[in-house]
Amino acid sequence: MAEEAKFCCLRCGAEFLLPYTPGVTEERTCPNCGSNSVRRKKDK
Amino acid sequence: MADVGRHPRIELLAYSEVDNVTGYVGNFTVTVRKKARYVDVAECTACGDCEDVCPVTAPDEFEIGLATRKAIYQPFPQAVPSAYVLNIDECLGNNPIACGKCLEACDKDCIDYDDEDELVDIEVGTILVCVGMDVYDPTTLDEFGYTRYENVITSLEFERLINSGGPTRGHLIRMTDREQPRTVAFIQCVGSRDASRGNPYCSNFCCMNTVKDCLLIKDHYPDVDIKVFYMDIRAFGKGFEDLFQRSKEAGTVYIRGIPGEIEEDPETKSLRLYVETTTEGGVNCHEVDMAVLSVGAVPKRDSDMIQRLLTLQRSQDGFFLEAHPKLKPVDAATQGIFFAGCAESPKDIKDSVTQASAAVGRANRLMMQGEVKVEAITSTVIPDLCKSCGICVKVCPYNAISCDTKAKTPAVVVEAACAGCGACSAECPFGAITMKHFTDSQIDAQIDAMLSDNPQDKVLAFACNWCSYSGADLAGTNRFQYPANVRLIRTMCSGRVDKRFVLRAFAMGAPIVLVSGCHFADCHYINAVHWTQRRVEKLWDELEKKGIRPERLQLEWISAAEGQKFATVMRAVEELRQKVTRDEIEHTRKVLADVLEPTGVVA
Amino acid sequence: MATREEGDEKLRVGVFVCQCGLNIAGTVDCEAVAEFAETLDDVAVVFNNRYTCSEPGQLEVKKAIQEHDLNRVVVASCSPLMHEPTFRAVLAEAGLNPYLLEMANLREHCSWVHMGEPDKATDKAKDLVKMAVARARRLRAQKEMVVPIRQKALVIGGGVAGIQASLDLADAGYQVYLVEKEPSIGGIMAQIDKTYPTMDCSI
Ligand SMILES: Cc1cc2nc3c(=O)[nH]c(=O)nc-3n(C[C@H](O)[C@H](O)[C@H](O)COP(=O)(O)OP(=O)(O)OC[C@H]3O[C@@H](n4cnc5c(N)ncnc54)[C@H](O)[C@@H]3O)c2cc1C
Ligand code: SF4
Ligand code: SF4
Ligand code: SF4
Ligand SMILES: [Zn+2]
Repeated sequence: MAEEAKFCCLRCGAEFLLPYTPGVTEERTCPNCGSNSVRRKKDK
Repeated sequence: MADVGRHPRIELLAYSEVDNVTGYVGNFTVTVRKKARYVDVAECTACGDCEDVCPVTAPDEFEIGLATRKAIYQPFPQAVPSAYVLNIDECLGNNPIACGKCLEACDKDCIDYDDEDELVDIEVGTILVCVGMDVYDPTTLDEFGYTRYENVITSLEFERLINSGGPTRGHLIRMTDREQPRTVAFIQCVGSRDASRGNPYCSNFCCMNTVKDCLLIKDHYPDVDIKVFYMDIRAFGKGFEDLFQRSKEAGTVYIRGIPGEIEEDPETKSLRLYVETTTEGGVNCHEVDMAVLSVGAVPKRDSDMIQRLLTLQRSQDGFFLEAHPKLKPVDAATQGIFFAGCAESPKDIKDSVTQASAAVGRANRLMMQGEVKVEAITSTVIPDLCKSCGICVKVCPYNAISCDTKAKTPAVVVEAACAGCGACSAECPFGAITMKHFTDSQIDAQIDAMLSDNPQDKVLAFACNWCSYSGADLAGTNRFQYPANVRLIRTMCSGRVDKRFVLRAFAMGAPIVLVSGCHFADCHYINAVHWTQRRVEKLWDELEKKGIRPERLQLEWISAAEGQKFATVMRAVEELRQKVTRDEIEHTRKVLADVLEPTGVVA
Repeated sequence: MATREEGDEKLRVGVFVCQCGLNIAGTVDCEAVAEFAETLDDVAVVFNNRYTCSEPGQLEVKKAIQEHDLNRVVVASCSPLMHEPTFRAVLAEAGLNPYLLEMANLREHCSWVHMGEPDKATDKAKDLVKMAVARARRLRAQKEMVVPIRQKALVIGGGVAGIQASLDLADAGYQVYLVEKEPSIGGIMAQIDKTYPTMDCSI
């Protein structure tokens, strides 16, 4: 099972969970606004 | 077809797939996997002795399951190469107890149960992608009851039914009682022209295919009633209107409206079609003996593999994307690669053939010159600055750089192998790699020129040549309007966008910087786009540490087909720009002031 | 420190602002853009053409390169993806290295997408020209690598399209490798009985 991590969108500010594997770079899309400016939240 | 098998200059590698591709225009090396066939193609005379003794029966793919075949079989009588193939998963095996019958039956000794896949390398100058299409699977359209009702079939299955070489020897029967139907319905646009439940595009050939089928039925069975349910009949090609009129004269009834539901009579197995028609108004019921779903085209299922191997792009509908919709309709964006047939978009035989000849014309134009110039956009290492860290070696998607990290000798680029993405140049921590024709100093000059006056009003967008920049062009050709505050700087790949460029833009007062590139699957440089994402992620952290809102650096993947997305992104970044205050910009300028100091690197 | 790099002769940039009929000039004030271009560093001459890509337009560029002794060229017109090869060829004909060309995209990226805002579009066009001139000033001549092309082609897929392509290529004298993933070539067409528009057999 792929792990999930918390991400936030740098366009609309939405926060959401997405599959995440450390060290793997993947294309990510904000489920709210469709932006690819999706950043992983580091704080827990 | 048979001409292909006979031509002295064509080597047919059937039952084979492309495993790997390296190189560039004029000099591609392609690894082909010849799948184990278990029958020697050269020796097999297609006598069929093996088939006669094989005890296994399996559904026949060529007849779309309407008939059966053996585990060792010839796909169809006119197959090229004219040879048998053994499906090892179905075969009982060469074990005297299990089976081994065909081996015994074959006089030519051409069966080998231990056959294995074989890899061969071939070297070519050009590549033509003709992978075709698949047909739409209507099982998901529940209202038509395909697979639930035996008398609902697809147009491709229908082709086999009326084929004199097919399972019924060309006799039109319906599946449940093997009787000739009295009424046949055709339903058009199944899986086509419906964005929400199928594909948005028109599949191009299905209207005329139905017109053809109606004429064929009427030729052989004048008494069969035919009703065609449609949205529009698209008979646009040469001679098409004539065929359409003939089918009407022959008695085909065309009814405008697509059935909302099909119901089966449990006893007679006949079908009731409920249709709301524009001509009659209200919902009407039509009873028929069988219904044919005119299924559309879908992109070939494993297109993504070919896309990845050849670094191609695809349109939003999933078919391969041409370099220019009007002026380069059969060229891929990658030099030396061309498209023909349904790989590029759904089309009929005539158009597929026309396009094939066009693609050959383009390939010929390249090859006949004997040599080709490749764009002088490659990387160069400045030996004095190189610290032999070896990072660039890991970055390069083409293995074009080597560096002996132990001997501490400077990195070396093999120019012929370098595709010019510029990822190495952006990743080198010591500024030791420069890109020809996209130098740091050129890009710095563009940034400075753009932001030297009123930077607060502008958005700086880096766009990669192949996708985002083309997407912006498409927004233009389609006249998608967006705010006028953005200015683009083109790089070959988003992987070229050095962290320094972004910081420089902020130091010059840019409120918003956008880095845009290809979707990961579209990357023109295999996977250079991964470096873009990693770099932007690091930059977000770095900006945040410096007290600069990371939101001011935006990242978007925009394909050459996404003109609409480009315009949407432009509106979004303009909205973000308006939220950036002057104080914020001033603060950033101060924090990053040292970025603007000359480094002494003349790159 | 605006250092001029080694080996630099005196820069002479020619700017060609294209109206593209009304495609650009309908929204962008090309006259104003041309006037602005004259004020930029190292710009030796500015032209305002109706269609720079047309035969007379190209001739004008060529002539200007020779008459004004230009060593950098900026064409402010449409997308480089469309006409960069055209203008590179013009430079080459005029005896300039083709890599000394830079384009500013005033059409796809400006006039066509800001049709309701002529003033802002004109401001943007000026910026785009300014950026192009800035880059042009630092362009260097490049030498293209010439590589031999193998007289062989690979055709992937043996449907009608692949079959036709293979035969045409082979008849033209090239060695062809046709890779088909199924046990036989033919594709969908092989499954069809009679085909429109001729209503004859498919195979
Ligand atoms: C029901 C139906 C009826 C039709 N009737 C007509 C008609 O009457 N008249 C008409 O003009 N057109 C008709 N058409 C359209 C016609 O079938 C297409 O125009 C034609 O088949 C397109 O040929 P193609 O070579 O592009 O693709 P395809 O026929 O799909 O062939 C592609 C080939 O490439 C192979 N391939 C795919 N991927 C790979 C890979 N990765 N590696 C190696 N090989 C690969 C496939 O196995 C296949 O052999 C009809 C289509 C349908 C579905
Ligand atoms: S060709 Fe006809 S049936 Fe096929 S999708 Fe287009 S309109 Fe519909
Ligand atoms: S990344 Fe830069 S410093 Fe490191 S080996 Fe490559 S060129 Fe040299
Ligand atoms: S990373 Fe890109 S630019 Fe650098 S050597 Fe490899 S292909 Fe060339
Ligand atoms: Zn969002």
